[in-house]
Amino acid sequence: MTDRVQVVAFAGSALLLLLVLELVRRRRLSEEYSALWIVSASVLIGISLRRDLIDSSAQWMGVYYPPALLLLVLVGIVCVALLSISVILSRQRRQIDRLTEESAILAAELRELRWEVRERSDGEPGQRHTDESGP
Amino acid sequence: MTTRPRVLALIPAYNEAVNLPAVIGDLRRRRPDLEILVVDDGSTDGTVALLRRLQVRWLRWPERRGVGSAIRAGLRYADNLGFEAVVRLDADGQHDIQDIARLLLPLHMDAADVVLGSRFISMDAGDEGRPGPVQRTLGAVLSVLTQRVVTDPTSGFWAMSPRAVTLLAEHHPSGYPEPELHLFLSRNALRLVEVQVRSQARLSGRSSLTPVRLIAAGARVLLALLIVPLRAVVSQSHD
Repeated sequence: MTDRVQVVAFAGSALLLLLVLELVRRRRLSEEYSALWIVSASVLIGISLRRDLIDSSAQWMGVYYPPALLLLVLVGIVCVALLSISVILSRQRRQIDRLTEESAILAAELRELRWEVRERSDGEPGQRHTDESGP
Repeated sequence: MTTRPRVLALIPAYNEAVNLPAVIGDLRRRRPDLEILVVDDGSTDGTVALLRRLQVRWLRWPERRGVGSAIRAGLRYADNLGFEAVVRLDADGQHDIQDIARLLLPLHMDAADVVLGSRFISMDAGDEGRPGPVQRTLGAVLSVLTQRVVTDPTSGFWAMSPRAVTLLAEHHPSGYPEPELHLFLSRNALRLVEVQVRSQARLSGRSSLTPVRLIAAGARVLLALLIVPLRAVVSQSHD
């Protein structure tokens, strides 16, 4: 009951899973972002093995060519993946914004502290070196 | 320790090196009681060197991120240093320093959390005349959504109380923020009062709103009109 499309689908999904695991192993993909891909690859492996599942649900949905359903699932996964990447991107954008603002504020506060110190030491000649040591 | 000045004048600036000295000079002359903070949004016209010379407080970052981010950072700075009010004005000289007192008055009387300087409350035209069709439409839509009259939806002349400063230091919208700010304030039940201000032409140069930016800003405002009223109210710590 196996035909080529099933073999190719299984091989492709298994390859995807291996690739994801390898990327995690090399730390090119962090664990928290790999979950989506591992789940997706597992689902793909599952449905490429269970041919009957595809056939029956294709029949139920009125899809004439069952492997087209596999494609549909794939498109769905890609959509979810892209959306989640956009979410991650937005979060990182917010974090970068925050960091940029925070570092600008720190730089300004440091600059102003330096002014204050300089002003104080200019105002009281002879005490230039006692500023840090306190009274 | 000396007593801290109470009010911070917050001036977001992008490539306004030509106008900044005049604006700051004017501010120092007529409102010497205000502290001045310029937020340089990645200008490429030598604004940094200028800021060092002008001896004002300033923040800057290397790339342009939008006036909303600049204001948010300025507000956080003000919040950190415990200023009692913040006045936001433009760096191009289109806001009359004399009007700052009118903006601050409702804050001092605790009649508002945020005061907006509107050019269009009384319709007997100033230099800038009447609001354009876009502004009028936007004003009408915002008035309906926020259930208070918004006559000048794109004005950048604001005064904010400490409560508003603390809140907006976290949540001030990015991008082209004024219309979204109206929605945010209404959503979070901050009291807004409009006062009439004189409008002046900008000193020199052109506004940084190019057609492409204008379209992007318009799209963003439309999205904000849909989304912001549906957002959760920001949790505020009442003391």
